[in-house]
Amino acid sequence: MADVGQISSSLDGSGEHGQGARQESGHAYVGHSVLRPDLLEKVTGAAVYCVDLRRSGSASAKIVRSTRAHARILAIDTDAARSAPGVVAVLTCDTLTGLCSRFGHIVADHEILANGKVRYYGEPVALVVAETEAAAADALELVQVEYEDLPAVITAEDALAAGAVLVHEVDLPLLDVDNLSPGEGAGSPEGGPRVDNVAHEVTLEWGDVDAAWESAAVVVESSMHFPMLYAYAMEPYNAIASYANGRLEVDSTAQHPFMVRDDLARVFGLPLSAVTVRAPYLGGGYGSKSYTKVEPLAAVASWHVGRPVKLVLDVEESIYTTRVDSAVVKVRSALDADGRFIAREFDIVMDSGAYADNSPLVIAKSVNRCFGPYRVPNLRVRGRSIYTNTSPASSYRGFGAPQGVLAGETNLERAAEELGIDSAEIRRRNLVQPGEEILQGKRGIDADLPADLEMLLSALKMGEPSNTKWYGVGFACSASDAGAFPVSTAAVRVETDGSVIVLSGSTEMGQGSRSLLGQIAAEEFGIELRQVAVRQSDTGSTAYERTTGASRTTTLAGLALQRACADALSKMRAMAAEVENVDIDTITQCPGGFSLEDNRILRYGEIVKKWFGASAGEVTGVGTVRRSGVTKQMPPFWEIGMVGVGCRIDPETGAVTVEQLATVGDVGFAINPQAVEAQDLGAATQGLGLSLFEELIYDGPQVVNPNLVDYRIPRMRDLPSRIDLMLAERRDGVGPYGAKGSGEGSLNPIAAAVVTAVARAIGRWPDRIPLTPERVWRLISDRTDDE
Amino acid sequence: MLPPFALERPDRLDEALGLLDDVSVPYCGGTELLMAMKMNVLRPRCLVDLKGIAELGRLDWDGDDVLVGGAVTHARLATDDDVLSGSALLASVERRVGNARVRSQGSIGGNLCFAEPRSDIATLLCAMEASVTLQSQTDSREVAMRDFLIGAYETVREPGELLVNVLIPKVRRYRGVYLKYQYSERPTVGVALVHDEAEGPWRLAVGAVGEIPLVLEADSPSGFDPHAVAESIDLVEDLSGSVEYKRHIVEVYVRRAMQLAIQGDSL
Ligand SMILES: Cc1cc2nc3c(=O)[nH]c(=O)nc-3n(C[C@H](O)[C@H](O)[C@H](O)COP(=O)(O)OP(=O)(O)OC[C@H]3O[C@@H](n4cnc5c(N)ncnc54)[C@H](O)[C@@H]3O)c2cc1C
Repeated sequence: MADVGQISSSLDGSGEHGQGARQESGHAYVGHSVLRPDLLEKVTGAAVYCVDLRRSGSASAKIVRSTRAHARILAIDTDAARSAPGVVAVLTCDTLTGLCSRFGHIVADHEILANGKVRYYGEPVALVVAETEAAAADALELVQVEYEDLPAVITAEDALAAGAVLVHEVDLPLLDVDNLSPGEGAGSPEGGPRVDNVAHEVTLEWGDVDAAWESAAVVVESSMHFPMLYAYAMEPYNAIASYANGRLEVDSTAQHPFMVRDDLARVFGLPLSAVTVRAPYLGGGYGSKSYTKVEPLAAVASWHVGRPVKLVLDVEESIYTTRVDSAVVKVRSALDADGRFIAREFDIVMDSGAYADNSPLVIAKSVNRCFGPYRVPNLRVRGRSIYTNTSPASSYRGFGAPQGVLAGETNLERAAEELGIDSAEIRRRNLVQPGEEILQGKRGIDADLPADLEMLLSALKMGEPSNTKWYGVGFACSASDAGAFPVSTAAVRVETDGSVIVLSGSTEMGQGSRSLLGQIAAEEFGIELRQVAVRQSDTGSTAYERTTGASRTTTLAGLALQRACADALSKMRAMAAEVENVDIDTITQCPGGFSLEDNRILRYGEIVKKWFGASAGEVTGVGTVRRSGVTKQMPPFWEIGMVGVGCRIDPETGAVTVEQLATVGDVGFAINPQAVEAQDLGAATQGLGLSLFEELIYDGPQVVNPNLVDYRIPRMRDLPSRIDLMLAERRDGVGPYGAKGSGEGSLNPIAAAVVTAVARAIGRWPDRIPLTPERVWRLISDRTDDE
Repeated sequence: MLPPFALERPDRLDEALGLLDDVSVPYCGGTELLMAMKMNVLRPRCLVDLKGIAELGRLDWDGDDVLVGGAVTHARLATDDDVLSGSALLASVERRVGNARVRSQGSIGGNLCFAEPRSDIATLLCAMEASVTLQSQTDSREVAMRDFLIGAYETVREPGELLVNVLIPKVRRYRGVYLKYQYSERPTVGVALVHDEAEGPWRLAVGAVGEIPLVLEADSPSGFDPHAVAESIDLVEDLSGSVEYKRHIVEVYVRRAMQLAIQGDSL
């Protein structure tokens, strides 16, 4: 296997083939690959993660989990566990009387502890709180749960079958969720009885699809199965909660601490101000740590025992907390003889597991993203998220795009094949031009996709010969309505020495937001990076941020921060005018301060001190982003995916080696180019994982590979020997300096690229991923699938 | 999470042997044992740590033979100068065991005694006709590798016995190839094809696919029939492949190993 070989980038001049589209920045800090301030801490192990936190007097909790996929709980006997050594308390759903025992930000269907029945193997049934983690673990098996089995639906197909047992009996109302248009079957407000296992349904339609099939030169039908995945953040879920005197404090591995706060406040009926959620460094998230996970368990335990309680899950438990929606996506496309789309029709069925979590939004996004950045005059998409008796699914990097784009792009390739048009040409004919709408009534595309495609092609052509036997090149593209709902705030505090503290509710989860926000503040104030400190993700003391997801931080948190800086600067300008007793118009900003008409320079610290009349004081600037101005139109920006691969096949074993990878990051402006490239490479590598290796396998009620030994993720050696990471910087985003987000783009289309490359190499089209060696071998040797 | 256990750290072999029984078990690198305990598959009351026993860390050469102590790690066998010059084949197989953590923690004795079927070491040692010495408080016996393994996770070792060393006779004179097909953390199939340069037949061992390695002999490296080998071998279906696929892979890898050996691409 190839070693990690050449990585070319468009920015450091070493990239022979990279063709970055870049405008000279002329900035001091943004646009440069500055050393991330968190890097040294993380590499040396000094960085503090949630699991490292201690609170004096704390107890430890362990979860008694369901051993059944679907069963009525007849009785829970906790007596023996309660009297075991070191045990402080055992909680069941009966302990939660007086609380709102269900959570869920879209549908509050998620019982903190199973109530009456269990809906999946691994569901929390009881919580043992003890002096030590070991004592809690020992007492787990003393909790006796008596079950009466119910029929279980383990696949979406089972769950949709006529007469299937219901996972949820009551149709709960959708909570007030921005950015989610309720569709049919989306829960009636009354909460009446459910009739099926459809958790959420979304449709999107324009034109007259049914009339289109007749007039088409070709109609191509295909279907793709997207596997059930685990996002595999290195750090499993954990939290430490402390409930006392009507106040709750929680440290946890939460991507969206403010969202978790809202859920917890609802559980306890507390004012939002009485609940504090903090997220220290996160050991990765990839969407799996968005929204509420283990926090309610730790919180109710602390509420019950009156001491801080720590709860740490292992990997297997984390897999049984949140996994990725699997999907079956059927596509039908009608094209004219020139290869232009006449119509596309998609049917997406996602297996969302036992609780809705964020899957209703995942399906909604998949519906928006599956048909690609093309001109499609007639469109019909139906997406359904299905309840099954399996681990609950939720957000995953790419938000429904990976599932949808895989099906949409491979279907387009098959159409190109049938029409005898080459893959690049058919895209040139269908891609939208800059400014053109993909979704009716939404923001036009803020990127130059045709130009991005040519960049990608230039890199791919330089690669391995594309038409040798057992070697295939494939590429694919996507556009995601990204940024989520634009609600973002930031604050800056300018100190008496002119240094600056940035307050943001956006979470540093490895992606480099701490560095990025620092760069923006340094740039705006014209001060050195080391003079900026960034404080993040503490609902009690940092600024509000709705979420850290949908690649939004650079664009929205960055914009809020830029506005906070402007606010502080304008306040200081007015203060300077006041203390100098001059007309404000005579004062101009210069790096680190303001200059006066007489050429004197007043540094920020001096202004603060003079204004307060002491060696003390502080100036605060605040910035907000909402659906107004540049962020009025949805989505805030489009995130582009433009990826190509070259794959070599061992025809005897079916093993696939990815030899080349090329990505185009169309990010408008790269505030930290190295960090953007790292996002693209990371996203692409994660995408190679699901394309080739990753799949959670249910055999009966249980996952059979819930660990790193049996769930295969990409390793260093799986990286292609040739990697081209290109950046397109056309300053066409609404974010600071024309920036748009990054982080998901290169994952979204990569599975389609890999499937296409493999199909070209072996002459057959796979209908599912991952492309394990056995699957590829079966395709090559024409063996019927035994799965 | 690990269940509770007691830990003993003897520094003498007889002391260790005195501690062993049904519920007090040997513990070396812990790469298998601790995982099995975390998964609640094994629940020993006491772990007897072998790492402090000097005798089990020996690596002694006697002419063409080598005697490897039971606690010698994969990392050491992969990088030891004498092993590299004495048997480049053994060193190269050791270098490709699992991952860096498993190699630096895991021992040859632990690998063989755990008898996880997907072992490269067991396959190679069967082909090389190695033997192991099992010692109890009262007795010591030498058992050929091929008799030592009796099934998946099953050996002839008694609870009171320790694998004190592995004897690989004439290792310096062995030449051959070892090929493995590894998609996941552990090998899907391992094929060893070796012979004693001075005398004797070529020996083919095919491991990791079934419960224990299949060993065959022939006069020359071309004297095996890959298809027949694949047809005759007992296979177990698991996450790395169906029986049908594994049978095919066995054939491919036996043929590839034969080609390399015939071309003289041996270590
Ligand atoms: C992720 C992973 C990947 C792996 N990949 C490979 C691979 O590619 N190829 C391969 O060949 N192997 C592979 N292995 C197996 C690896 O070689 C073994 O885990 C390791 O050698 C075991 O040694 P240990 O010292 O850690 O044993 P321990 O875990 O300490 O013990 C294992 C068992 O042997 C017993 N035991 C240990 N030492 C002795 C002794 N001297 N006498 C008697 N009983 C003893 C213990 O009681 C226990 O039952 C892999 C293992 C893992 C975890």
